[in-house]
Amino acid sequence: MNVVVCVKQIPDPAAPPSLDPATNTLNRSGKLILDDSDAYGVEMALQLVDAAGGGEVTLVSMAPNGEVSGLRTALAMGAAKAILVSDDVLVGSDALGTAKVLAAAIRRAAPDLVLAATESTDGYTGTTPVQVAELLGFPSVTFAKKVEVSGSTVKVQRQTEAGFDEVESPLPAVVTVTAGVVEPRYPSFKGIMAAKSKPVETLTVADLGIDPSEVGATGARQAITSVTAAEARQSGEIVVDEGDAHERIIQFLEQLKVL
Amino acid sequence: MDFTVSEEMTALLETVRRFIAAELAPLEHEVEERGVLAPEVARTIFEKSRALGLYAMNVPGRFGGGGLSAVETVMVEEQFGHTTDILVRRAFGNVYEVLFAADAAQTERWLLPCVRGERTASIAITEPDAGSDAAGITTRAERVAPGWRINGAKHFISDAAFSDFFVVSAVTDPPKRSRGISLFLVDKAAPGVTIGRDQPMMGLRGTSHHELFFDGVEVGDEHLLGEEGTGYAQVLATLGRVRLAQVGARSVGKASHVLDLMTRHAAARRQFGQAIGEFQMVQQLLADSVIDVNAARLLVLRAAWELDAGRDARDWIAMVKVHASEALGRVVDRAVQVFGGMGYCKDLSIERYYRDARVARIYDGASEIHRMVVARDALRSGAALFDSMGSGGWAPEPHAATARGGGR
Ligand SMILES: Cc1cc2nc3c(=O)[nH]c(=O)nc-3n(C[C@H](O)[C@H](O)[C@H](O)COP(=O)(O)OP(=O)(O)OC[C@H]3O[C@@H](n4cnc5c(N)ncnc54)[C@H](O)[C@@H]3O)c2cc1C
Ligand SMILES: Cc1cc2nc3c(=O)[nH]c(=O)nc-3n(C[C@H](O)[C@H](O)[C@H](O)COP(=O)(O)OP(=O)(O)OC[C@H]3O[C@@H](n4cnc5c(N)ncnc54)[C@H](O)[C@@H]3O)c2cc1C
Repeated sequence: MNVVVCVKQIPDPAAPPSLDPATNTLNRSGKLILDDSDAYGVEMALQLVDAAGGGEVTLVSMAPNGEVSGLRTALAMGAAKAILVSDDVLVGSDALGTAKVLAAAIRRAAPDLVLAATESTDGYTGTTPVQVAELLGFPSVTFAKKVEVSGSTVKVQRQTEAGFDEVESPLPAVVTVTAGVVEPRYPSFKGIMAAKSKPVETLTVADLGIDPSEVGATGARQAITSVTAAEARQSGEIVVDEGDAHERIIQFLEQLKVL
Repeated sequence: MDFTVSEEMTALLETVRRFIAAELAPLEHEVEERGVLAPEVARTIFEKSRALGLYAMNVPGRFGGGGLSAVETVMVEEQFGHTTDILVRRAFGNVYEVLFAADAAQTERWLLPCVRGERTASIAITEPDAGSDAAGITTRAERVAPGWRINGAKHFISDAAFSDFFVVSAVTDPPKRSRGISLFLVDKAAPGVTIGRDQPMMGLRGTSHHELFFDGVEVGDEHLLGEEGTGYAQVLATLGRVRLAQVGARSVGKASHVLDLMTRHAAARRQFGQAIGEFQMVQQLLADSVIDVNAARLLVLRAAWELDAGRDARDWIAMVKVHASEALGRVVDRAVQVFGGMGYCKDLSIERYYRDARVARIYDGASEIHRMVVARDALRSGAALFDSMGSGGWAPEPHAATARGGGR
């Protein structure tokens, strides 16, 4: 079974982010790393391929400046190869533009299953994967907390507020996985050394046969009109137990109307 | 000069760091409280690390290790500084380079099981009456055909309780002093070997430090490591790598760990209506620590680079041993100060780092001994040791002759 995993490479969330004042978009000129959210998809894909007893995991990513660091991390975990789409005309792409590019790249890999995260850590619109599915003409199942493939069907436990739904879909399909579904493996010493020589195919928009006016800033149907800083979080209240802590906590919870 | 770190190294360092954060750091507190790492926990972290290929990374590929270069090894060892000695020993192994002197049969019997993590070794050199003066040992190995009989005592031997065998220095030819010392591979289970008291230490909780007694221990010739009479030279040369990695690089890691905690505390802790990091006196503690950490790391990398270039890096390692251990000492001391009472309180790890740091200036050659090495070499080789062009050779200044006592 061949699985494609969409992996987004994002600015290190540990470093303070900066916005481009002209476009209000995130500054992505520095080094990008594998989005933690996508590590779950990679792990899930590796496990599914393992369980199927054959096939391989292909990564698909769209990122500026030919960035491959995040892909190398996922390759070191065990993915076989990667397709990277990197092109200056993609600057300013919105979620739909991104989805068009990803869909075209995924089509080349002819996968049985496409995995993505429910939402990315930096953009978190959570809209890209379903748009990818629509463009590919694949069914999509979101919020998967458990994924199993048997024959040409994928069985998914879909996280809901109250519990989960059991959903079945024919393959090929797009499935988005939630954080924490599996424990992403550490890239091993051997995996890291092998990742260097694994193939990364770098493509442009032209290579994918996409009309440049459909993507990038020109193709974008969304614009970020303004950005406001989030209100600073108030520091919490520390309850020191002088014998009455339980009462004060209950009082506090009652105030919040959670009790 | 290029300080870029390769993609693979970055990935490896990230894996090591993640492993430490997720698998080892959560164990630190309990080891500190109980003074021991439970054997089944030790086993688990070993197995997880070995499965990832993180065990014995310093050992050349031909022996089944990770085959990292010296520069790569010190980069990894710096990460090890972010957790405690005992957890590093169990998770990542402590295969001493001195074992690479093993011949083919010895490699099979002693080295390879260590690389696989099936056996562990300690280095037994120090004696109650011979520490800095490692050539002044009295443990004696007498020729008794067809092998040797060893008598004597060692102390402060790290991890001896856990180890399966020891690399023991012993006098084989007394008149030759340092050239009459040899190294022996001695099984812990060999008749005549006794493990003495665990000597309680200020820090390094969880690692044992034992007295060892050798009472008529008979070993065959196949237990002699390297040539007879080269023991002292081997100790100086190969233990240099241990100093560089386990003291030098790890000190940098520990110092940078503590500095990170201290910087964040200085930014978050408020007194007199402002963050204490805004007070200049606190800022000096931070600035000096940043400078100390970065300078020490550069020295560590330089020494490792000399080793990779195939040069004798003894002087560089001596400089590292002094500078990195003392930089660590200064940083942990400042950290206690910045944390105030919390720095002294066992609720945080700062006081542990403070205690653990102290020995870095003592073991593997005290600072004074390494300063002596550096000074002697400066007097002998002059500018080669410190001039950027390695040449020096500036004309003596006019008054130099008088100063040298050679006046007319
Ligand atoms: C007006 C506008 C301008 C923008 N300009 C730029 C720009 O100049 N440069 C730029 O880099 N971004 C830009 N972005 C952001 C960008 O295009 C986002 O990647 C895209 O909107 C996806 O949205 P998201 O991060 O919310 O993904 P989500 O829908 O939250 O992502 C869900 C999952 O989809 C997959 N996925 C999403 N994006 C990618 C990707 N790129 N590669 C592989 N898998 C992916 C991942 O698995 C991800 O976890 C812009 C966005 C807008 C709205
Ligand atoms: C926690 C710990 C772990 C250890 N692990 C091991 C181990 O695994 N294997 C092992 O063999 N040993 C081990 N040791 C021993 C360690 O290497 C010695 O303690 C160290 O070499 C110093 O020797 P000493 O303690 O005998 O001090 P001494 O040699 O007595 O030195 C005392 C002081 O005198 C100074 N001094 C000595 N000679 C001179 C000189 N010529 N000029 C100026 N000053 C001088 C020293 O610098 C020091 O300040 C360990 C020690 C400790 C504390």
